[in-house]
Amino acid sequence: MNVAHIDELDRIEMPEGFVWRPVRRRFDIRSFGTNVYTPSEAGGQIVEEHTEAQLGHEEIYLVVRGRVRFTVDEDEHELGVGRLVYVRDPQLRRGAVALTDDAAVLTLGGKPGEAFEVSAWEAMFAAVPYAQREEWDEAIRIHEEALTERPDHPALLYNLACMECRAGRSLDALLHLQRSVALEPKWAGYAQRDSDFAAIRSEQGFPAA
Amino acid sequence: MSDGYTILALDEIEPVPYHQREGQKILTIQRLLDFRAAGINGWIGDAGEGLVPEHEEDSGSEELYVVVRGHARFTVDGNDVDAPAGTLIHVLAGENRVAVSEEAGTIVVAIGGRIGEAHGPSGWTSFVVADALRREGRMDEARAAIREPIEQFPDAWHAPYNAACFEAIAGEPDNAFAYLQQALRIDAQAVKGYAPQDPDLDSLHDDARWKKLVG
Repeated sequence: MNVAHIDELDRIEMPEGFVWRPVRRRFDIRSFGTNVYTPSEAGGQIVEEHTEAQLGHEEIYLVVRGRVRFTVDEDEHELGVGRLVYVRDPQLRRGAVALTDDAAVLTLGGKPGEAFEVSAWEAMFAAVPYAQREEWDEAIRIHEEALTERPDHPALLYNLACMECRAGRSLDALLHLQRSVALEPKWAGYAQRDSDFAAIRSEQGFPAA
Repeated sequence: MSDGYTILALDEIEPVPYHQREGQKILTIQRLLDFRAAGINGWIGDAGEGLVPEHEEDSGSEELYVVVRGHARFTVDGNDVDAPAGTLIHVLAGENRVAVSEEAGTIVVAIGGRIGEAHGPSGWTSFVVADALRREGRMDEARAAIREPIEQFPDAWHAPYNAACFEAIAGEPDNAFAYLQQALRIDAQAVKGYAPQDPDLDSLHDDARWKKLVG
Protein backbone atom coordinates (compact mmCIF):
# COMPACT_ATOMS: atom_id res chain seq x y z
CA MET A 1 0.00 0.00 0.00
CA ASN A 2 1.10 3.53 -0.74
CA VAL A 3 -0.67 6.69 0.36
CA ALA A 4 -0.37 10.34 -0.61
CA HIS A 5 -2.55 13.40 -0.32
CA ILE A 6 -2.85 15.40 -3.53
CA ASP A 7 -0.91 18.22 -1.86
CA GLU A 8 1.99 15.82 -1.25
CA LEU A 9 2.38 14.91 -4.92
CA ASP A 10 5.29 16.33 -6.89
CA ARG A 11 4.51 19.72 -8.36
CA ILE A 12 5.78 20.19 -11.89
CA GLU A 13 4.97 23.55 -13.44
CA MET A 14 4.50 23.21 -17.16
CA PRO A 15 5.28 26.00 -19.63
CA GLU A 16 1.60 25.96 -20.71
CA GLY A 17 0.60 27.23 -17.25
CA PHE A 18 -0.86 24.15 -15.56
CA VAL A 19 0.80 22.11 -12.82
CA TRP A 20 1.27 18.37 -13.31
CA ARG A 21 1.00 16.29 -10.11
CA PRO A 22 2.13 12.78 -11.14
CA VAL A 23 0.08 9.96 -9.61
CA ARG A 24 0.73 6.95 -11.87
CA ARG A 25 4.45 7.66 -11.72
CA ARG A 26 4.44 8.13 -7.94
CA PHE A 27 2.68 4.82 -7.25
CA ASP A 28 4.12 3.01 -10.29
CA ILE A 29 0.60 2.14 -11.42
CA ARG A 30 0.82 -0.11 -14.46
CA SER A 31 -2.75 -0.79 -15.53
CA PHE A 32 -4.15 2.67 -16.26
CA GLY A 33 -3.04 6.27 -16.64
CA THR A 34 -3.89 8.67 -13.83
CA ASN A 35 -2.66 12.07 -12.70
CA VAL A 36 -3.79 15.16 -10.82
CA TYR A 37 -3.60 18.66 -12.26
CA THR A 38 -3.71 21.95 -10.39
CA PRO A 39 -3.43 25.54 -11.62
CA SER A 40 -0.66 28.03 -11.00
CA GLU A 41 -3.38 30.48 -9.95
CA ALA A 42 -7.15 30.95 -10.05
CA GLY A 43 -8.24 31.56 -13.62
CA GLY A 44 -5.24 29.67 -14.92
CA GLN A 45 -5.17 26.57 -17.08
CA ILE A 46 -5.67 23.33 -15.15
CA VAL A 47 -6.18 20.85 -18.00
CA GLU A 48 -4.28 21.72 -21.15
CA GLU A 49 -6.29 22.08 -24.32
CA HIS A 50 -5.71 18.92 -26.29
CA THR A 51 -7.21 15.92 -28.03
CA GLU A 52 -6.37 12.27 -27.47
CA ALA A 53 -6.38 11.59 -31.22
CA GLN A 54 -2.79 10.38 -31.26
CA LEU A 55 -3.04 7.98 -28.31
CA GLY A 56 -6.67 6.98 -28.87
CA HIS A 57 -7.38 7.25 -25.16
CA GLU A 58 -10.77 7.71 -23.56
CA GLU A 59 -10.48 9.91 -20.47
CA ILE A 60 -12.30 10.83 -17.29
CA TYR A 61 -11.64 14.19 -15.61
CA LEU A 62 -12.89 14.24 -12.01
CA VAL A 63 -12.94 17.47 -9.98
CA VAL A 64 -11.57 16.55 -6.55
CA ARG A 65 -11.27 20.09 -5.15
CA GLY A 66 -12.43 23.60 -5.98
CA ARG A 67 -14.26 24.65 -9.12
CA VAL A 68 -13.24 24.50 -12.77
CA ARG A 69 -14.66 25.49 -16.13
CA PHE A 70 -14.33 22.75 -18.72
CA THR A 71 -14.56 23.31 -22.43
CA VAL A 72 -15.32 20.15 -24.39
CA ASP A 73 -16.08 20.26 -28.08
CA GLU A 74 -16.62 24.03 -27.64
CA ASP A 75 -19.29 23.48 -24.93
CA GLU A 76 -18.57 25.10 -21.55
CA HIS A 77 -19.39 23.44 -18.21
CA GLU A 78 -18.72 24.84 -14.74
CA LEU A 79 -18.03 21.94 -12.41
CA GLY A 80 -17.46 21.52 -8.68
CA VAL A 81 -16.23 18.70 -6.46
CA GLY A 82 -17.53 15.26 -7.39
CA ARG A 83 -18.43 16.16 -10.96
CA LEU A 84 -16.68 14.46 -13.82
CA VAL A 85 -16.36 14.73 -17.56
CA TYR A 86 -16.02 11.48 -19.47
CA VAL A 87 -14.65 12.11 -22.97
CA ARG A 88 -15.12 8.89 -24.93
CA ASP A 89 -14.25 10.39 -28.32
CA PRO A 90 -10.47 10.87 -28.54
CA GLN A 91 -10.93 13.42 -31.34
CA LEU A 92 -12.77 15.92 -29.13
CA ARG A 93 -10.78 18.95 -28.06
CA ARG A 94 -10.95 19.49 -24.31
CA GLY A 95 -9.38 21.75 -21.68
CA ALA A 96 -10.20 23.45 -18.40
CA VAL A 97 -9.39 26.54 -16.37
CA ALA A 98 -9.49 26.76 -12.59
CA LEU A 99 -12.12 29.03 -11.11
CA THR A 100 -10.63 28.69 -7.62
CA ASP A 101 -6.94 28.61 -6.78
CA ASP A 102 -7.32 25.36 -4.79
CA ALA A 103 -8.85 23.46 -7.73
CA ALA A 104 -7.61 19.95 -8.47
CA VAL A 105 -8.64 17.58 -11.25
CA LEU A 106 -7.86 13.87 -11.29
CA THR A 107 -7.57 12.28 -14.72
CA LEU A 108 -7.98 8.65 -15.67
CA GLY A 109 -7.32 7.30 -19.14
CA GLY A 110 -6.39 4.45 -21.39
CA LYS A 111 -7.12 2.86 -24.73
CA PRO A 112 -10.15 0.56 -24.64
CA GLY A 113 -9.37 -3.03 -25.55
CA GLU A 114 -5.62 -2.69 -25.10
CA ALA A 115 -3.27 -3.32 -22.19
CA PHE A 116 -2.08 -0.03 -20.71
CA GLU A 117 1.31 1.29 -21.80
CA VAL A 118 2.99 4.13 -19.95
CA SER A 119 2.74 7.20 -22.18
CA ALA A 120 6.02 8.67 -23.35
CA TRP A 121 4.87 12.19 -22.49
CA GLU A 122 5.20 11.38 -18.79
CA ALA A 123 8.99 11.21 -19.04
CA MET A 124 9.05 14.39 -21.13
CA PHE A 125 6.92 16.20 -18.53
CA ALA A 126 9.04 14.83 -15.67
CA ALA A 127 12.20 16.13 -17.32
CA VAL A 128 10.86 19.67 -17.78
CA PRO A 129 12.03 21.16 -14.45
CA TYR A 130 15.52 19.72 -14.92
CA ALA A 131 15.72 21.04 -18.47
CA GLN A 132 14.56 24.46 -17.26
CA ARG A 133 17.42 24.47 -14.72
CA GLU A 134 19.78 23.05 -17.36
CA GLU A 135 20.42 19.99 -15.18
CA TRP A 136 20.96 17.89 -18.27
CA ASP A 137 22.26 14.73 -16.59
CA GLU A 138 18.98 14.19 -14.72
CA ALA A 139 16.84 15.16 -17.72
CA ILE A 140 18.80 12.66 -19.83
CA ARG A 141 18.50 9.97 -17.15
CA ILE A 142 14.70 10.32 -17.09
CA HIS A 143 14.54 9.89 -20.87
CA GLU A 144 16.93 6.93 -20.85
CA GLU A 145 14.80 5.25 -18.18
CA ALA A 146 11.66 5.72 -20.28
CA LEU A 147 13.46 4.38 -23.34
CA THR A 148 14.24 1.10 -21.58
CA GLU A 149 10.49 0.43 -21.80
CA ARG A 150 9.86 2.14 -25.16
CA PRO A 151 13.20 1.84 -27.02
CA ASP A 152 11.72 2.80 -30.39
CA HIS A 153 9.69 5.81 -29.40
CA PRO A 154 10.64 8.56 -31.90
CA ALA A 155 9.59 11.53 -29.73
CA LEU A 156 11.50 10.23 -26.71
CA LEU A 157 14.60 9.68 -28.85
CA TYR A 158 14.28 13.17 -30.33
CA ASN A 159 13.89 14.79 -26.90
CA LEU A 160 16.84 12.80 -25.59
CA ALA A 161 18.92 14.01 -28.53
CA CYS A 162 17.95 17.64 -27.75
CA MET A 163 19.13 17.29 -24.17
CA GLU A 164 22.31 15.45 -25.07
CA CYS A 165 23.14 18.20 -27.52
CA ARG A 166 22.57 20.88 -24.88
CA ALA A 167 24.76 18.84 -22.52
CA GLY A 168 27.58 18.83 -25.06
CA ARG A 169 27.23 15.13 -25.88
CA SER A 170 27.22 15.74 -29.62
CA LEU A 171 27.83 12.20 -30.85
CA ASP A 172 25.09 10.70 -28.64
CA ALA A 173 22.74 13.48 -29.78
CA LEU A 174 23.46 12.82 -33.45
CA LEU A 175 22.97 9.06 -33.09
CA HIS A 176 19.67 9.40 -31.21
CA LEU A 177 18.40 12.04 -33.62
CA GLN A 178 19.24 9.78 -36.57
CA ARG A 179 17.40 6.91 -34.89
CA SER A 180 14.36 9.11 -34.25
CA VAL A 181 14.25 10.25 -37.88
CA ALA A 182 14.69 6.69 -39.15
CA LEU A 183 11.64 5.67 -37.16
CA GLU A 184 9.58 8.74 -38.04
CA PRO A 185 10.92 11.03 -40.80
CA LYS A 186 8.91 14.09 -39.67
CA TRP A 187 11.45 14.69 -36.90
CA ALA A 188 14.05 15.69 -39.51
CA GLY A 189 11.98 18.76 -40.30
CA TYR A 190 11.65 19.70 -36.64
CA ALA A 191 15.40 19.22 -36.14
CA GLN A 192 16.19 21.68 -38.90
CA ARG A 193 14.40 24.45 -36.96
CA ASP A 194 15.18 23.36 -33.40
CA SER A 195 17.63 25.65 -31.62
CA ASP A 196 18.66 22.78 -29.33
CA PHE A 197 20.60 21.34 -32.29
CA ALA A 198 22.50 24.50 -33.19
CA ALA A 199 25.80 22.92 -32.13
CA ILE A 200 25.51 19.89 -34.44
CA ARG A 201 23.42 21.10 -37.36
CA SER A 202 26.45 21.42 -39.62
CA GLU A 203 27.82 17.99 -38.64
CA GLN A 204 28.03 15.27 -41.24
CA GLY A 205 25.08 12.90 -40.78
CA PHE A 206 22.70 15.55 -39.43
CA PRO A 207 19.34 14.57 -40.95
CA ALA A 208 18.31 16.57 -43.99
CA ALA A 209 14.76 17.94 -43.97
CA MET B 1 -23.88 18.17 -25.65
CA SER B 2 -22.27 15.86 -28.22
CA ASP B 3 -22.38 12.07 -28.02
CA GLY B 4 -18.63 12.13 -27.59
CA TYR B 5 -18.68 13.07 -23.92
CA THR B 6 -20.76 12.87 -20.75
CA ILE B 7 -20.96 15.01 -17.62
CA LEU B 8 -21.78 13.12 -14.42
CA ALA B 9 -22.26 14.31 -10.83
CA LEU B 10 -21.34 11.58 -8.36
CA ASP B 11 -23.85 12.73 -5.75
CA GLU B 12 -26.67 12.63 -8.29
CA ILE B 13 -26.13 8.93 -8.99
CA GLU B 14 -28.71 6.79 -7.22
CA PRO B 15 -26.66 4.73 -4.75
CA VAL B 16 -27.23 0.97 -4.88
CA PRO B 17 -27.24 -0.95 -1.58
CA TYR B 18 -24.38 -3.42 -1.28
CA HIS B 19 -24.89 -6.53 0.78
CA GLN B 20 -21.66 -6.85 2.78
CA ARG B 21 -22.34 -4.31 5.51
CA GLU B 22 -25.40 -2.38 6.72
CA GLY B 23 -25.66 0.99 5.02
CA GLN B 24 -23.06 0.21 2.37
CA LYS B 25 -23.85 1.83 -1.00
CA ILE B 26 -22.10 1.68 -4.35
CA LEU B 27 -22.12 4.31 -7.10
CA THR B 28 -22.12 2.35 -10.35
CA ILE B 29 -20.00 4.75 -12.38
CA GLN B 30 -18.71 2.08 -14.78
CA ARG B 31 -22.20 0.94 -15.68
CA LEU B 32 -23.50 4.46 -16.18
CA LEU B 33 -20.63 5.61 -18.37
CA ASP B 34 -19.62 2.35 -20.04
CA PHE B 35 -16.01 3.42 -19.49
CA ARG B 36 -13.77 0.72 -21.01
CA ALA B 37 -10.17 1.63 -20.30
CA ALA B 38 -10.19 0.73 -16.59
CA GLY B 39 -12.57 -0.22 -13.83
CA ILE B 40 -14.19 2.65 -11.94
CA ASN B 41 -16.90 2.74 -9.29
CA GLY B 42 -17.66 4.78 -6.20
CA TRP B 43 -18.78 4.27 -2.63
CA ILE B 44 -20.83 6.76 -0.62
CA GLY B 45 -21.67 6.75 3.08
CA ASP B 46 -22.38 8.75 6.20
CA ALA B 47 -20.30 8.59 9.40
CA GLY B 48 -19.96 5.00 10.60
CA GLU B 49 -21.21 3.46 7.39
CA GLY B 50 -19.14 1.10 5.30
CA LEU B 51 -17.53 2.35 2.11
CA VAL B 52 -15.15 -0.06 0.36
CA PRO B 53 -16.12 -3.63 1.33
CA GLU B 54 -13.45 -5.76 2.97
CA HIS B 55 -11.77 -7.76 0.24
CA GLU B 56 -8.66 -8.71 -1.66
CA GLU B 57 -8.64 -8.46 -5.44
CA ASP B 58 -8.82 -12.10 -6.52
CA SER B 59 -9.01 -10.76 -10.06
CA GLY B 60 -5.38 -9.61 -9.73
CA SER B 61 -6.28 -5.93 -10.11
CA GLU B 62 -4.26 -3.13 -8.59
CA GLU B 63 -6.55 -0.39 -7.28
CA LEU B 64 -6.37 3.31 -6.60
CA TYR B 65 -8.83 4.76 -4.09
CA VAL B 66 -9.53 8.48 -4.27
CA VAL B 67 -11.29 10.22 -1.37
CA VAL B 68 -13.29 12.78 -3.32
CA ARG B 69 -15.37 14.25 -0.51
CA GLY B 70 -15.67 13.92 3.28
CA HIS B 71 -13.39 11.76 5.38
CA ALA B 72 -12.71 8.03 5.34
CA ARG B 73 -10.67 5.55 7.35
CA PHE B 74 -8.99 2.73 5.45
CA THR B 75 -7.48 -0.41 6.89
CA VAL B 76 -5.05 -2.17 4.56
CA ASP B 77 -3.46 -5.41 5.77
CA GLY B 78 -4.13 -4.31 9.34
CA ASN B 79 -2.70 -0.80 8.92
CA ASP B 80 -5.06 2.12 9.58
CA VAL B 81 -4.98 5.07 7.20
CA ASP B 82 -6.67 8.36 8.05
CA ALA B 83 -7.98 9.57 4.69
CA PRO B 84 -9.47 13.06 4.40
CA ALA B 85 -10.69 14.37 1.05
CA GLY B 86 -7.84 14.46 -1.46
CA THR B 87 -6.18 11.29 -0.20
CA LEU B 88 -5.00 8.72 -2.77
CA ILE B 89 -4.39 5.12 -1.69
CA HIS B 90 -2.78 2.60 -4.02
CA VAL B 91 -3.45 -1.01 -3.02
CA LEU B 92 -1.97 -4.14 -4.63
CA ALA B 93 -4.17 -7.11 -5.52
CA GLY B 94 -3.25 -9.35 -2.60
CA GLU B 95 -3.63 -6.72 0.10
CA ASN B 96 -6.74 -6.89 2.26
CA ARG B 97 -8.56 -3.56 2.35
CA VAL B 98 -11.69 -2.05 3.86
CA ALA B 99 -12.88 1.54 4.33
CA VAL B 100 -15.50 3.20 6.49
CA SER B 101 -16.88 6.71 6.39
CA GLU B 102 -16.09 9.18 9.16
CA GLU B 103 -18.16 12.07 7.83
CA ALA B 104 -21.59 12.57 6.25
CA GLY B 105 -21.66 12.19 2.49
CA THR B 106 -18.15 10.81 2.10
CA ILE B 107 -17.39 9.61 -1.43
CA VAL B 108 -14.53 7.30 -2.38
CA VAL B 109 -13.86 6.46 -6.02
CA ALA B 110 -12.16 3.13 -6.76
CA ILE B 111 -10.18 2.69 -9.98
CA GLY B 112 -8.69 -0.64 -10.97
CA GLY B 113 -7.09 -2.73 -13.65
CA ARG B 114 -4.90 -5.77 -14.29
CA ILE B 115 -1.30 -5.11 -15.21
CA GLY B 116 -0.42 -6.15 -18.75
CA GLU B 117 -4.00 -6.90 -19.73
CA ALA B 118 -6.67 -4.99 -21.59
CA HIS B 119 -9.42 -4.07 -19.18
CA GLY B 120 -12.46 -6.27 -19.68
CA PRO B 121 -15.56 -5.02 -17.90
CA SER B 122 -17.12 -8.03 -16.18
CA GLY B 123 -20.68 -6.88 -15.66
CA TRP B 124 -20.05 -7.02 -11.92
CA THR B 125 -21.89 -3.76 -11.30
CA SER B 126 -24.91 -5.03 -13.24
CA PHE B 127 -24.92 -8.02 -10.89
CA VAL B 128 -24.73 -5.71 -7.86
CA VAL B 129 -27.68 -3.68 -9.15
CA ALA B 130 -29.71 -6.80 -9.92
CA ASP B 131 -28.88 -8.33 -6.54
CA ALA B 132 -30.02 -5.17 -4.74
CA LEU B 133 -33.32 -5.22 -6.66
CA ARG B 134 -33.79 -8.91 -5.82
CA ARG B 135 -33.23 -8.24 -2.14
CA GLU B 136 -35.89 -5.53 -2.31
CA GLY B 137 -38.30 -8.03 -3.85
CA ARG B 138 -38.34 -6.20 -7.21
CA MET B 139 -37.86 -9.47 -9.06
CA ASP B 140 -38.95 -8.42 -12.56
CA GLU B 141 -36.57 -5.45 -12.52
CA ALA B 142 -33.84 -7.69 -11.08
CA ARG B 143 -34.31 -10.24 -13.88
CA ALA B 144 -34.07 -7.49 -16.48
CA ALA B 145 -30.92 -6.03 -14.88
CA ILE B 146 -29.15 -9.39 -14.60
CA ARG B 147 -29.68 -10.01 -18.34
CA GLU B 148 -27.93 -6.76 -19.33
CA PRO B 149 -24.35 -8.12 -19.34
CA ILE B 150 -25.21 -11.22 -21.43
CA GLU B 151 -25.15 -9.41 -24.75
CA GLN B 152 -22.54 -6.93 -23.58
CA PHE B 153 -20.01 -9.59 -22.53
CA PRO B 154 -20.77 -12.69 -24.64
CA ASP B 155 -17.64 -14.53 -23.45
CA ALA B 156 -18.42 -14.18 -19.74
CA TRP B 157 -20.00 -17.41 -18.44
CA HIS B 158 -21.18 -15.79 -15.22
CA ALA B 159 -23.52 -13.43 -17.09
CA PRO B 160 -25.95 -16.15 -18.28
CA TYR B 161 -25.19 -18.18 -15.15
CA ASN B 162 -26.42 -15.36 -12.90
CA ALA B 163 -29.46 -14.96 -15.14
CA ALA B 164 -30.16 -18.69 -14.64
CA CYS B 165 -30.02 -18.19 -10.87
CA PHE B 166 -32.49 -15.33 -10.98
CA GLU B 167 -34.88 -17.26 -13.25
CA ALA B 168 -34.71 -20.24 -10.88
CA ILE B 169 -35.50 -18.00 -7.91
CA ALA B 170 -38.39 -16.45 -9.87
CA GLY B 171 -39.84 -19.93 -10.51
CA GLU B 172 -39.11 -19.93 -14.24
CA PRO B 173 -37.26 -23.25 -14.75
CA ASP B 174 -37.45 -23.23 -18.58
CA ASN B 175 -35.71 -19.86 -18.71
CA ALA B 176 -33.25 -20.97 -16.02
CA PHE B 177 -32.20 -24.06 -17.98
CA ALA B 178 -31.87 -22.05 -21.19
CA TYR B 179 -29.45 -19.63 -19.48
CA LEU B 180 -27.64 -22.49 -17.77
CA GLN B 181 -27.07 -24.11 -21.16
CA GLN B 182 -25.74 -20.82 -22.49
CA ALA B 183 -23.31 -20.58 -19.56
CA LEU B 184 -22.20 -24.19 -20.07
CA ARG B 185 -21.42 -23.49 -23.72
CA ILE B 186 -19.04 -20.71 -22.64
CA ASP B 187 -17.27 -22.53 -19.79
CA ALA B 188 -18.64 -25.92 -18.79
CA GLN B 189 -15.89 -26.57 -16.24
CA ALA B 190 -16.57 -23.35 -14.33
CA VAL B 191 -20.34 -23.85 -14.34
CA LYS B 192 -20.16 -27.50 -13.27
CA GLY B 193 -17.77 -26.56 -10.49
CA TYR B 194 -20.07 -23.86 -9.18
CA ALA B 195 -23.66 -24.90 -9.83
CA PRO B 196 -24.06 -27.98 -7.57
CA GLN B 197 -23.32 -25.92 -4.42
CA ASP B 198 -25.32 -22.87 -5.43
CA PRO B 199 -28.50 -22.59 -3.32
CA ASP B 200 -30.03 -20.23 -5.92
CA LEU B 201 -30.40 -23.27 -8.22
CA ASP B 202 -31.86 -25.66 -5.60
CA SER B 203 -35.30 -25.54 -7.21
CA LEU B 204 -33.88 -27.10 -10.39
CA HIS B 205 -32.33 -30.18 -8.80
CA ASP B 206 -35.39 -32.44 -9.20
CA ASP B 207 -35.83 -31.60 -12.86
CA ALA B 208 -34.51 -34.23 -15.28
CA ARG B 209 -32.68 -31.53 -17.21
CA TRP B 210 -30.47 -30.78 -14.18
CA LYS B 211 -28.84 -34.21 -14.19
CA LYS B 212 -28.41 -34.10 -17.95
CA LEU B 213 -26.76 -30.66 -17.92
CA VAL B 214 -24.90 -30.47 -14.64
CA GLY B 215 -24.43 -34.16 -13.84
